[in-house]
Amino acid sequence: MGGYGDVQMIDENGIRVDGRTAGEIRPVSINAGIIPVADGSAEVIWGTNHVIAAVYGPMEAHPRKIQKQDRAVLDVRYNMAPFSTTDRIRPGFNRRSREISKVTAEALESVVLTELYPRSKIRVEIEVITAEAGTRCAGITAASVALADAGIPMTDMVISVASGKINGVVVCDLNKEEDNYGEADLPMGVCANSGELVFLQMDGDLSPEEFQIAWDYNMEAIAPVHEMMIDALKRSNGGDE
Amino acid sequence: MATPPVPELLKTHLTKLAESDERLDGRGRFEGRDVIVETGVLARAEGSARVQMGDTIVLAGVKFQIMTPYPDRPTSGGFMTSAEVRPVCGVHWEAGPPSPEAIELGRVVDRGIRESGCIDMEDLCILPGEKAWQVILDVFALSDDGNLFDAFATAAMAALRTAIIPGERFDVGEDRPLPVSKTPMMCSYHRVGGRFVYDALRREEIGGGERIHITLGDDNHVHSLQKGLKGAFTAAEFDEIMEHARSRCAELRDLVNN
Repeated sequence: MGGYGDVQMIDENGIRVDGRTAGEIRPVSINAGIIPVADGSAEVIWGTNHVIAAVYGPMEAHPRKIQKQDRAVLDVRYNMAPFSTTDRIRPGFNRRSREISKVTAEALESVVLTELYPRSKIRVEIEVITAEAGTRCAGITAASVALADAGIPMTDMVISVASGKINGVVVCDLNKEEDNYGEADLPMGVCANSGELVFLQMDGDLSPEEFQIAWDYNMEAIAPVHEMMIDALKRSNGGDE
Repeated sequence: MATPPVPELLKTHLTKLAESDERLDGRGRFEGRDVIVETGVLARAEGSARVQMGDTIVLAGVKFQIMTPYPDRPTSGGFMTSAEVRPVCGVHWEAGPPSPEAIELGRVVDRGIRESGCIDMEDLCILPGEKAWQVILDVFALSDDGNLFDAFATAAMAALRTAIIPGERFDVGEDRPLPVSKTPMMCSYHRVGGRFVYDALRREEIGGGERIHITLGDDNHVHSLQKGLKGAFTAAEFDEIMEHARSRCAELRDLVNN
């Protein structure tokens, strides 16, 4: 976290650099079924973020040692494309992408009915095409839609949003500029129907009061995004069912 | 890429179709799929394109870095191509370091562009011996239903043709378009059911034999050739392919330039 208190990111009326209010998320659009050869796929365009997810499987898990006797394994990969950021990223896994892949897999495992497919594997590929702060959240959201698009049985859909703090003010869904000067970041993955959390991280500095506001902002953002996910699935699968 | 076990049924089916000069999707031997080219699709790239051919979809992004020129060419910039064929684009592509197939893809696309001389390397020099632009072309597969080679090569040229050198961001002069003087284009042919076809589907690649990639410049000069996979072809077969490549490359060039 940068913590540069002298850069003014919010005006006296509480309006942010891109014109949003504190609790407002960036414009979001979601499409499903965008990769013809995948079993399920989705794209989430969240502000300038453009994140794509593809699902393959369930399929045979190999090598055999990765098989689980009582459930499927979720093989999740989060990756940033080399042209997704201002400075080119060298291709290949790094510690950051490995950690995000791991926590994303654990979030999705909490809702996918993996016990229906013992000894198999479900591949979830998350590719960040354009990055603008908050890619892990967009990735989890995209992966949820892609899993549903692939017809994988789930107990719930996961929506992920982050709130943070700039100039001492708690705001929802930081963009790149705000993130550079952010003083805290609280990404959460919430199940749309149950309201349970399956993904939670935080770094920075939040007072108990600030923490509560950030938490509430995230919770308020879930329902509208969930609507968009359902709408995307209806459109790609041609119908209202 | 994991080599899928070649289903004999598919091979037999393709051979049967070839006997009556048919293909899986009803196309003629040398008929390509519709090609859709969009540019300016990546917000963080200095030049970008998306190409769709049937169910094959690829992206290309151009980025710039400042490099120290090589000692033997102090007034030249650099050009690098990297092909990313990640497991997102198909069940048959696996995670891990770039496979030999992905490396071949990147290198064949790179050669056609580099050898055509369409990018003036001297123009990329900022300060002789000290600073020059390095053009980095990343091609990325989103959906692989065959013929990634041509999709990559087409997207690459469309992205390069729209690229802007970000002088201001690096504090070395003004932003300006990357000068690209020619439009080399690639056409690829696969042996399917005994004869060569243009623009193979993924299933034709799986059930087919060797492949030939031809890159031609504006003036029909040959800039790169590549024969891949096991198999042998005759001079007469090559002549037939080359003749088709000359007309098809011109069509693709028009698509990219407009």
